Amino acid sequence: MNFTGTILLVDDEPHIRKFIGLVLRQVGAPRIIEAGDGEEALAVYQREHPDLVLLDINMPGLTGVETLQQLKAADPDCLVVMLTSLASRQIVEETLALGAVGYIRKDTPKDEIIRTLSEIIANCLDAGEPAEPAP
Amino acid sequence: MDPTDKIPAPERRSRKILIVDDDRLNIRILGGILRNEGYVLAEADSGEHGMEAYEKFRPDLVLLDVMMPGIDGFETCRRLKQVHGDNCAPIIFITARNESDDVVAGLTAGGVDYLPKPFKARQVLARIRTHLQNQILAEQQKLLVEQLNKADAAKNRFLGMAAHDLRNPLSTIRGLAEILRESTDSRIAPADLELLDGIHDTSQSMLNLVDELLDLSVIESGELRLEPKPCSLTDLIAKCAGLRSGDAAKKRTRIVLPAAGPGIRVTVDPAKMQQVVDNLLSNAVKYSPPGSTVTVVIHGDSRRCGFAVQDQGPGIPEKERHRLFSDFGRLSVKPTGGEKSTGLGLAICRKIVEAHQGTITAENLPGRGCEFSVALPVLS
Repeated sequence: MNFTGTILLVDDEPHIRKFIGLVLRQVGAPRIIEAGDGEEALAVYQREHPDLVLLDINMPGLTGVETLQQLKAADPDCLVVMLTSLASRQIVEETLALGAVGYIRKDTPKDEIIRTLSEIIANCLDAGEPAEPAP
Repeated sequence: MDPTDKIPAPERRSRKILIVDDDRLNIRILGGILRNEGYVLAEADSGEHGMEAYEKFRPDLVLLDVMMPGIDGFETCRRLKQVHGDNCAPIIFITARNESDDVVAGLTAGGVDYLPKPFKARQVLARIRTHLQNQILAEQQKLLVEQLNKADAAKNRFLGMAAHDLRNPLSTIRGLAEILRESTDSRIAPADLELLDGIHDTSQSMLNLVDELLDLSVIESGELRLEPKPCSLTDLIAKCAGLRSGDAAKKRTRIVLPAAGPGIRVTVDPAKMQQVVDNLLSNAVKYSPPGSTVTVVIHGDSRRCGFAVQDQGPGIPEKERHRLFSDFGRLSVKPTGGEKSTGLGLAICRKIVEAHQGTITAENLPGRGCEFSVALPVLS
């Protein structure tokens, strides 16, 4: 995976942050910061300006969709990849329409997560223009 | 919950009887017989008035004279049945003895019985009691069916919710085990690695089970939405075989596919049909001894097309055949490589195939092994 920036990882479940964080490190992501909910994610985004946000859809408090909307409102260019599970598959289309660049099923095996993430990042880097939703 | 709590017992309330007769004397006699037994009564002196009284009184049973000025008893009966359908209270005709033959023919109008005049109290009460009992049983049955449907829907909702909530923690356990197993910098003793494999494989098979329960709850609750599109059956099968080749290779089993070509085109939901093919291939590999050959054949003509998966396993024990496609219908046949089985796979396959208006069947092959065939209608 050819990605050298900072990644903000947002999920309310610490073990999932741990797992996805380890996967990201395995593929060489240099710097990962974490947030446990939407509010915290917005604050961390303002402070750290990460290059990529991995954002859980199903969170208590601010939902992934609401967090995405506020991130996009604050910074239309921010790159957001949604973290989804089987339960939130209906919402995925909505997040893509709102400007997420893609989604990762966090309940799939590690290699599949890596493959999907690499594809999304390659697309974003190639396109140069990150605002296009993935197909 | 004990469903019998909600069932109306015959004693719980007085049953209501509507008497429709233009002869005041008949009404008085019947009234006298019935009131003594605790029935609640209403009266009408013509078919038209009977229809009106029915609306207001909502009787549990109707006693209906046949010969009346205006619309006669048969016509009144037909109209009541037309308006109230299956919910209409049972209707008993009142007739003079010499009209009995007509009445028997007239029962086709929707009546359940007849009372000959002159009335005999014991006969009147016995017949009425019988029909009210039937009525009560029918009500109870309807209530039970409603309750069962509700309970089934609740079961499906629960199953769906529980399965969704179980997926995330399970996939995290699997993922963390995956990472630990593959980490090169830590020194894990071979014995511990085995334990780790255990954690990984167990969480994986639990995920499979949860996924199948989820599939089942979606299908059972009628939420299975097919998104059919034209696709090549040959390609679809080749794709599934590709995904299964790893498992097959572990057992030195070969999956033999039909020769590539233009192939047969079908209109199916590709993801769902892949699930069927994958399940059949995985079963074929699972139940065949190592080093076997699993053969897929595709067939088709202008009316039906389909495919079949042939294995070299022990076949289906005839005594257990009826369980093959039912929920949790695990047979005595064991996987040959210690693989897991939930007993839901073939049930799900059947439901998916049937949702496509197709059929799935299984036959033992002469000698050894069996063949699972899926037939799909050719959609224009």
